[in-house]
Amino acid sequence: MWSLAIHTLIADRGKLLTALVGVVFSIVLVNVQGGLFIGLIRKAGLLVDQGQADVWVGHRQMHNVDFPRDIPRRWVHRIRTIPGVHRAEPYLVGFADMTLPSGGFEGVVVVGVDRASLLGNAWNLVEGRPDAILQPDGIILDECENQKLENPKIGELREVGGRRARVVAKSQGIMGFLVAPYIFTTYDRAADYLAKTPDMCSYFLVQLEPGARADEVCQAIRRVLPEVDAFPRDEYSRISIDFWMTRTGLGISFGAATLLGLLVGMIMVAQTLYALVLDRLGEFGTLKAIGATERQVYSVLLIQAFLMAVVGAIIGLVLVSGIQFFYSTPRAPIVVPWWLSLGSCVLVLVICLVSSWLPYHRIRKLDPMMVLQS
Amino acid sequence: MIADPHNDALPTKDAAAQEPMAGDLAVWAQDIHKTYRTSSVSTPVLGGVDLAIPAGQCAFLAGPSGSGKTTLLSILGCILSADSGTIRVLGHDLMRLDEDGRIAMRRNHIGFVFQRFHLIRGLTVLDNVCVPLTLRGVPMPQAQERARRLIEAVGLAEKVHAHPRSLSAGQCQRVAIARALVGEPKIILADEPTASLDAANGQEVMALFRKLTAEEGKTAVVVTHDQRIFPFADRVFHLENGHVVQTGQPNALVHV
Repeated sequence: MWSLAIHTLIADRGKLLTALVGVVFSIVLVNVQGGLFIGLIRKAGLLVDQGQADVWVGHRQMHNVDFPRDIPRRWVHRIRTIPGVHRAEPYLVGFADMTLPSGGFEGVVVVGVDRASLLGNAWNLVEGRPDAILQPDGIILDECENQKLENPKIGELREVGGRRARVVAKSQGIMGFLVAPYIFTTYDRAADYLAKTPDMCSYFLVQLEPGARADEVCQAIRRVLPEVDAFPRDEYSRISIDFWMTRTGLGISFGAATLLGLLVGMIMVAQTLYALVLDRLGEFGTLKAIGATERQVYSVLLIQAFLMAVVGAIIGLVLVSGIQFFYSTPRAPIVVPWWLSLGSCVLVLVICLVSSWLPYHRIRKLDPMMVLQS
Repeated sequence: MIADPHNDALPTKDAAAQEPMAGDLAVWAQDIHKTYRTSSVSTPVLGGVDLAIPAGQCAFLAGPSGSGKTTLLSILGCILSADSGTIRVLGHDLMRLDEDGRIAMRRNHIGFVFQRFHLIRGLTVLDNVCVPLTLRGVPMPQAQERARRLIEAVGLAEKVHAHPRSLSAGQCQRVAIARALVGEPKIILADEPTASLDAANGQEVMALFRKLTAEEGKTAVVVTHDQRIFPFADRVFHLENGHVVQTGQPNALVHV
């Protein structure tokens, strides 16, 4: 039946192409739309994912890395005494304004890191060195924010929170979920920019001893400091992402668009399969007249649906790779994890197989007598 | 000989359906009635047809349009069911076969030749001829070997890989004949096999059809309007208004 299914499918190239466009459209839409969504939403946990800390400690009920509440810096000493903790350093995150050469202001997220360990500092530097923030007034900006910050140069002076700041290094690709650019500097200078007293901080970044379990250390921290929450890196990243997912309806809107794409693709595939069958009713009638069973006839349709799904999925994934290669940027990253690609292929395969039911229903009603009524 | 992977016994409503048939008749039918019914209209088509065709003979069903020829052929071919009567084809009581039995009967014991050929457009000549064997689950190399021999026999050896759209009507009907014979059925049913062909092609195709069925000892039942091909028949059944009004050798019929 494979030969019969393949040859009859290929024979009508126009309809085959239409069906393939439907499948490719679904695969591309799900992967690119999903990839954009994942790329965007992952930015919400960017600082956590890249912050080099195994455990994040912050105020109770902390729910987003960019919106922390102050906690006393002195608590860091109690955390350092907990078994399994290799290092714990204060970390400051807050909002300030940066002056622009044109006379305007741009809101920025100031990140203050411990000057000794530089734990949680900027990464992926393209100009300057990480420890350049130790220089007087040193800050690190991201070159992807050049346009927003009016093209700051290395050595250029700005004001952040009314205080002097000098650009000493630049990173690439540190763009958060918020529109405000990140700037990295030392803890004390960040407190200055944010007009905070240095005895308060936003988080403690904890690195664990080898072999220590993050969840056990988190429990120990909560026991010692009931006023804080402590989460392993992955969990706090997910919490930060969930904040935007649940409070903004972002997931619903992206999900709805993706489902719509799937629906359109499914309709195209079903319609094309149906049109293929309608066009070949006589041939299916002939098969039934010369002794094909219902199962054999349906297997022809299933094989054709399967082939369209597989070929369309392969073409679609190649296109997705191309789109990802050419169009993924730090501002709009397209992150396509393997499970998204696999899931979309399985989904499209299921849709194609289900879509073959509609034309099969038409063929079931087909009377083989039709071939004798010409 | 192509091995039939399916059991020769057909699914039936009861065991009596496969009693051996008396004598040497391939087709024996008695008092067949058939009425087409819609919600509001009943149209009687066959009103008590009797038929007996000895094995190995070529019988023609002739008569005007609406006389019931094609309906009778469809009943003999297990495509339609009769309302009442007795029909035995190759020893199988068709009235007692269930749907699966009728499908198996068509697949394993009957070859069909249609007026409009009904070849599958996407398949080559070779693949088209292989279809009945494919449906039986015969392995492709074995099916192709048998199909090639038949394609040669119908004179289309050079067209093995051609598609039906590149063939003439006469060539298409030759392919259809090869397809009907490839599964080595014991009976061939042909519905107006020359109606889509010109006179010369019709004669050629019928000559070929007759030669191949005779060589392989097949029983053939042919529905036709075309009196020019009557000489190819061993016996002609002339139908009018759902009844067989004359039976005999072609040259002995009065009205035909």
